[in-house]
Amino acid sequence: MAQVTINNLTYTYPLTEEPALREISIEIQAGEFLAVIGANGAGKTTLCYTLSGFIPHFFRGELQGKILIDGLDTANSKLYEIVEKVGLAFQNPFNQISGSKFTVYEEIAFGLENLGLPRDEIRSRVEWILALTGIEDLAERSPYALSGGQQQKVALASILVMKPGVLVLDEPTSQLDPIGTREVFQVIRSLAHSGQTIILAEHKMEWIAEFADRVLVLDKGEIVRLGTPQQVLSDINLLSSGIGLSRYTRVAHRVNQQKLWPKGQRYPISLQEATEAFGRLLSQEGGSKK
Amino acid sequence: MNLINSIKKDFNTMTWVLIPVAIAINIVIGQFVVLLKLPVFLDSIGTVLVAVIAGPWAGALTGTLSNIIWGLLIDPNAFPWFPVALLIGFVAGWCAIAGLFKSWWRVVIAGFLIAITAALASTPIAVYLYGGITASGSSFITAFLIQTGRDMVSAVLSTNFLVEPVDKIATALLAFAILEGLSSRYLARFPRSENVAVAKGGRTTQLIVAVLVTVFLVALYALVFVRLIS
Amino acid sequence: MRDRLSFYILRESPIHRMNPLTKLTLVFSLILLAFLGPVEWLAILLFTTVILPLSFLAHVGREFLSATARLLLPVIGFLFVMQSIFLPGGGTALVQVWVLDITLENVNIAFVNATRILTMISSFLLLLLTTHPSALMSDLARRGVPGPISYTVTSTLQILPQMQVKAATIMDAQRARGLETQGNLMKRIRALLPLVAPLVFGSLVDVEERAIAIEARAFNSPRQKTSLVEIDDRPIDRRIRWGLILVVIFLLGSRLWLK
Ligand SMILES: Nc1ncnc2c1ncn2[C@@H]1O[C@H](COP(=O)(O)OP(=O)(O)O)[C@@H](O)[C@H]1O
Ligand SMILES: [Mg+2]
Repeated sequence: MAQVTINNLTYTYPLTEEPALREISIEIQAGEFLAVIGANGAGKTTLCYTLSGFIPHFFRGELQGKILIDGLDTANSKLYEIVEKVGLAFQNPFNQISGSKFTVYEEIAFGLENLGLPRDEIRSRVEWILALTGIEDLAERSPYALSGGQQQKVALASILVMKPGVLVLDEPTSQLDPIGTREVFQVIRSLAHSGQTIILAEHKMEWIAEFADRVLVLDKGEIVRLGTPQQVLSDINLLSSGIGLSRYTRVAHRVNQQKLWPKGQRYPISLQEATEAFGRLLSQEGGSKK
Repeated sequence: MNLINSIKKDFNTMTWVLIPVAIAINIVIGQFVVLLKLPVFLDSIGTVLVAVIAGPWAGALTGTLSNIIWGLLIDPNAFPWFPVALLIGFVAGWCAIAGLFKSWWRVVIAGFLIAITAALASTPIAVYLYGGITASGSSFITAFLIQTGRDMVSAVLSTNFLVEPVDKIATALLAFAILEGLSSRYLARFPRSENVAVAKGGRTTQLIVAVLVTVFLVALYALVFVRLIS
Repeated sequence: MRDRLSFYILRESPIHRMNPLTKLTLVFSLILLAFLGPVEWLAILLFTTVILPLSFLAHVGREFLSATARLLLPVIGFLFVMQSIFLPGGGTALVQVWVLDITLENVNIAFVNATRILTMISSFLLLLLTTHPSALMSDLARRGVPGPISYTVTSTLQILPQMQVKAATIMDAQRARGLETQGNLMKRIRALLPLVAPLVFGSLVDVEERAIAIEARAFNSPRQKTSLVEIDDRPIDRRIRWGLILVVIFLLGSRLWLK
């Protein structure tokens, strides 16, 4: 059975008329990396909250359909049961700091204290996650005296230390500079390789192309595409859904508009694919000129 | 059982996270006011804010913790006055449940009731802990009243009745102004968001009525006060 | 505005090692005795023979004296002078100020009131100088103060300095834009709004996300929470607490008996 099953989900926030998600159905396998893309307001954050139980429990509103996580029906469970199965990290690193701890070490331990684990277990888990996320050197610092990237890694560690079966990340790098972004994605990469199930809402197509097993495209609350990154991210029609495709794809499209792109060939989605595709193009051209 | 449910109703996670922010608002605005040398305290805006959208118990807790933290961090002289802060939050919460935070002029009445509470609550502390004349500037008034032959309790009480209303009405109005500036989507997350009605239109008339109510209350109050004194 | 988080000073001393609850018991015992003890001069006696020596035993004597001078002397000095002059009632006149008699009886009452306040506030000061607020809160949480309440206190200790820094930044920015923080009353009242509004609304909006973040970390889990930091509570602490309670009961009892 799939680890996450969403069946015919439609959700409307309180005090609003239009549903923010419409008839969403998807199955996510254990160990899968699913990327969620879509324009602003398409419903990515709403989907993340739904997967992590905050919809309907925190936001209330009207939910139809079913979400099963490891067999747990989220609509009929308590939020504190759901958060043991699904970890959520989101955009603003500053607001994810619990605010009640004076060091990063204690901050990461906060969730485990709440779960009532024995002290020894807490210590060994915190040390394990500090090493895994590469932030051992921050352990004794105040969580407020860190850069955005460091704070976001602390936020990730604070969630991962609870060992959630599913990790939901809502644009975790959108408020970070390029250095912070790279640092956070390095952590995500090692998680993905370790077989963690990850659902990532993200704008940065290059990173998605590198990690994602599948890409889901949302538009006005509906799933408009679902497929491999190669299928989805090379699809120029997505521009009309307000999605900024990678520069490699866009350059290829320009070239195609000038009728220079080989017929039937898929656009590249990553630096590597672009290098290969343009290399081939140039060598063909060179060949034809001779 | 009813009491426990009433207390429980006030506290969801939003309340717990709001309280620290509210305490910080109390303290930061309180310090701004000192910096700008305004003739008021305005150190319970956060407390009233919590009381209105989370309820009287949450308001009481905010007031209490606010004084304790003021004592912990800034000035231990704040500790003995915590019952006053507690009651300000508590009464503000019940005012809100009674619908007094649904328009500007009603808020003036709420501020007035809060002021009366604060005046009553601080009297025994001033009299029994400090011996009547405390360290605040208003104790000159108390001293004067004592010299005119009044007994200690009524001198302190009159002083408090004199100084509290302006401060607490301003506090309630500012707290309401903040609430009006927040979206109903946001407010809906709190346990008693129904206590606030976001004013739609008719702002000027609302304000005029509020000013009139203030003037009326202050005039009436002054009249009664002068009667009491003379 | 203060930049230090609290009064706490990290030193090595028997008082620092004492369990926070023991110190809290000491504070409340001192206050009860100062106000309700059998004799009125007990307050000044407790200050000079208990609180002051303990502050030196805790290696914070200098800081204790300077904080007392800064926070307490103005308060109790004012109180003493005002009450000596203005308290009602006749008695043996010492001197005459304008139309008012300063009587021996009133000076006596003023002195007792002032020393009681001194004892009350300075005993808190001793606690604060030797106890980290978060140690106090974790110890209280372990003894049954609800977790969310101790969350709220420690969280305020973190948020407040943040907001004060932001406040100072906003203040400078507004001043640079020519906002008047001096001048007449109306101007100063109008100055308050642009100073406060961005600060207040910004911090309120953050509440929603922080609530989600801590719920995601099982804040509402019904399980018995663990406390990572262990705070010492030695047998001697327990004995001191019981001793203090007995002393208080004995002295309050003797007061009733003396009457
Ligand atoms: N708390 C809320 N209450 C009501 N409507 C909301 C709320 N949050 C988001 N929405 C609406 O739901 C839609 C989807 O928003 P969101 O999931 O945040 O999109 P995205 O994350 O893709 O930018 C938008 O139309 C947005 O205005
Ligand atoms: Mg979003």
